[in-house]
Amino acid sequence: MKRVSKPVFFIVAILVLALSYFAIFGFTTQYGDIKTTVIKGVNDIRWGIDIKGGVEATFKPAGDVDATDEEMEAAKAVIETRLVSSNITDYELYADSSSDRIIVRFPWKEDEENFDPEKAIEEISATALLTFRPGNSYASTERDANGNLVCKTPTGETEEVLMDGSNVAKAEPVMDTSKGTAEYMVSLTLKDASIFKDITEKYLKKTVSIWMDDIMLSAPTVNDVISNGEATITGDFTAQEATDLANKINAGALPFELETASFGTISPTLGASSLTAMAYAAIAAVIILALLMIIVYRLPGFVASIALIGQVGLMVATISGFFPVFSSFTMTLPGIAGLILSIGMGVDANIITAERIREELRSGKTIDTAIAKGSKSSFSAIFDGNVTVIIVALILLLVFGPSNILSVIFGQSTTGTIYAFGYTLLMGVVANFVMGVFASRLMLKSISGFKIFRKKFLYGGVGK
Amino acid sequence: MNKTIETAPKKVIDFFGKRKIFFGISLAIFALGIICNIIFGTQLDIQFTGGAIVKYSYTGAIDEEQLKDVLQNATEQEISFSISKNMIAGEDNSDDNYIVSLQFTGTDSLEFEQQKAITETLTKTFPDNNFEYSESSSVESTMGWKFFLKCIVAVAIACALMVLYVTFRFKKIGGLAAGMMALVALFHDVLVIYFFYVIMRMPLDGNFIAVVLMILGYSLNDTIVIYDRIRENRKILGGRTDLAVLTNISLTQVIRRTLLTSISTLLAVGCVLTVGIIFNLDSVTKFAMPTMVGLISGCYSSIAIATPLWVMWEKRKKSKGKKSA
Repeated sequence: MKRVSKPVFFIVAILVLALSYFAIFGFTTQYGDIKTTVIKGVNDIRWGIDIKGGVEATFKPAGDVDATDEEMEAAKAVIETRLVSSNITDYELYADSSSDRIIVRFPWKEDEENFDPEKAIEEISATALLTFRPGNSYASTERDANGNLVCKTPTGETEEVLMDGSNVAKAEPVMDTSKGTAEYMVSLTLKDASIFKDITEKYLKKTVSIWMDDIMLSAPTVNDVISNGEATITGDFTAQEATDLANKINAGALPFELETASFGTISPTLGASSLTAMAYAAIAAVIILALLMIIVYRLPGFVASIALIGQVGLMVATISGFFPVFSSFTMTLPGIAGLILSIGMGVDANIITAERIREELRSGKTIDTAIAKGSKSSFSAIFDGNVTVIIVALILLLVFGPSNILSVIFGQSTTGTIYAFGYTLLMGVVANFVMGVFASRLMLKSISGFKIFRKKFLYGGVGK
Repeated sequence: MNKTIETAPKKVIDFFGKRKIFFGISLAIFALGIICNIIFGTQLDIQFTGGAIVKYSYTGAIDEEQLKDVLQNATEQEISFSISKNMIAGEDNSDDNYIVSLQFTGTDSLEFEQQKAITETLTKTFPDNNFEYSESSSVESTMGWKFFLKCIVAVAIACALMVLYVTFRFKKIGGLAAGMMALVALFHDVLVIYFFYVIMRMPLDGNFIAVVLMILGYSLNDTIVIYDRIRENRKILGGRTDLAVLTNISLTQVIRRTLLTSISTLLAVGCVLTVGIIFNLDSVTKFAMPTMVGLISGCYSSIAIATPLWVMWEKRKKSKGKKSA
C-alpha cells in the first residue's frame, strides 16, 4: 500500500474539526450594538412550521371563478406585498395555477407574544386597494427582506385619491427594443380613458404615484396627456421588476375576492427551549455513536468519530446557509429524518470498512495490506447503498419541488415538508462521500504510519 | 483448484435453514396487524382526507355538557371533542390548564368565518375559563387526496428505480430476482410501519410517508450490503457452490456490520425519542417511534426475507433448468 504521509492525519483532522466548529457555532463579530453574522451556524437554521409552529393558509378565488394564470400571479403578488408590509419575512408562498390555490406558510415570529393568526390571515387576503395619488409624499420607510426600500403611508397632497384599481383593465410587462437596447416597461390599459385623460392633463410633468393599500409601488412622472387609455410606465426596470409591478397593479384590478380555503396554525411545540433539547439529543447521539465505534473498532473507530463530527458539521453547513451557494433551507421534521438516515449511512460506511479491515487482519494480513484491501473491497457496497439513496433523494426533490415531474398529473404544487427530506438526504450522501469515505480513509492511512499505532489489536485484529 | 475465501468465518451460521422460522415470525406479525386493522380500521390524517380540527386552551373546570351544547349551536356541522391536559403551557403552568380539541365530522374544510364565530362564542359563554385559540388545521379534501396520491406515486417511482438499479448492478447474481426480492423486503417494512401506526392508532400523515421513505432507503442499503458480499464471494468460489452455503457464509460475514449499524442508528433515534418523551414533544415522539420500529424491521427483512427468498428463487430456477435440459 502506498502510505499516506504522517502529517496528513493532523491536517485533515484539523480541517474537518474546524469546518464543523464554524458550521455549528457560526462566527459573528460584535461592533458596539451591531452584530454581524460572518458565518452562519446552527442558530441561523430556519425551522419549518411543523417544528417551530406557525401559520399555513390556502386561498382561493371566492365563488366559482376560474382564474387565469395571470390573475393567480397577481393575487400572489398582493399576498407577497402584504407579508412584506406586516414584516413577515420568513414566508413560503406558492401559487398553484391548476387548482387556483395560493398557499402561504410562515413561522411564528420570535418576539411576537400576542400574535393573532386569525387577524393576520384576514389582513393578508383582504381585497387589495390600488390607488393613483398625486405626488409621492410618504410618512415612513422600511426595508424589506431583500433590502429594498418600502415607502409607507401617504401624507400631504398624496392623501388624495385620483383613481382606483377598478378603472384598470390590465397591466402588462413589455420590452421595448426600439432604442437598440432592451428596455422594460409596464403598459397600462384603462377602462375609462376620460378619467385618466383628466388626471394626466392636471398633473402633466408632475408625479402621480401608484399605491397598493398603504405601500407605494411606483411614482412615475406624467410626460404626456394620455387620451386613448393606453399608458406606459417607464423607469429603470429590470425584466423582473417590470413583471412584479404589472402583477401588483393587476392585483388591484382582480375580478374576484380571495377566500380562505383552508387554514391552520401549529402551536410552537418546539419553542426555543425545546430546540435546545433537540440539540442535546443530537450531541448525546454523536457521543454514543463515537463511543460505540471506538469501543468496537478502536483506532478506525476513533478516526470514524472525527469523520462523524465532520459529517454532522457539513450537513449543518448545507442547511444553515454556511456556503453562499446554498441558501439557507427550511428544516422540517421529515428533514430531520433525512439527516438521521444520511448520518446512519455515514456511520455505516465506516463500519463496513472497519469490519473489512478487521476480517483481513484476522486472516493474517499485515496492517497496511489489511487497510488497503479492506478499503478497496468495502467500496462497492458503500457505493451501491449510497446510489440507491441518491435515487430516492432525487425523486423526492423532483416530485415535491416547486415545478415537478408530476405536474402533468397533479399540477404545480408547493414544496411541502417532504421536499426537505430529499434535500437533506442528497446533501447527506455528498457529506458521506466527503467525510465518511474520503476524509476518513485518508486519516486512517496516515495515522497507521505512526509507530505506536502499528499494533493489530488497535484495528480489531487478534492481539500479539 | 480448490478456491477458498481467505476471510471466511470459522463457524458459519445456517441462516437459510432457519428461513421457515423467519417467515413464520413475519407472517405472525402481519396476522396480528391485519386483525388490529380490522378492529381499529385505518385512520388517515386530515392532511390526506381533508377536514378540520380546532384546538383551544382554557383553564379551570368546565361543564362538558354545556360546552357541547354551546359548540353545537355555534355550527351546523356535527362536532366531536376531546379534552386533554395542556402539557406545553407557558410560564404560568398551572395544573388546571386544559386543551379542548374539536373535530368536525366530514371532510370539508372549515370556513374561516365559522372558526372565528366559534372562538367568539367560547370566549363569551365561558368568560372565566380564559378560552384561547391554540391551533387548528383545516384541509380541503381535494387537496388532501391529491397530496396523498402524490406521496404514493413518489414512493412507487422511487421503489421502481431502486429495483432497476439493483437489477442492473447485481446482474451476476440474477439481477431481476435480487431486485424483486429486495422489493418484497421493502413491502415487508412498509407493512410493519403501517401496522405499527394502526396498532398505536396514530393517523397516517405526511410524517408516515417520510418514515416510510427513510426506512426504504435504509432497508435497501442493508440488503445491498448482503447482496454485495454474495456477489463478491460468488466471484471467489465460482458459480458451482451451493447457493445456500454461499449465502450462509456471506450472511455470517456481514451480520456483525448489519447489527452494529442498526444498533448505532437505533441508539441515535433513541436519543431523539428520549428527549421527545422528556420534553413531551408530541410530534417528535410520534415520529421517532415508528422510525425505530422501521429500523428493526429493515434490518430484519434484509437478512430474513430478501436473502432467503432470493436463494429459494434462484434454486428453483436452477432445478427447473436441469429438468428441462
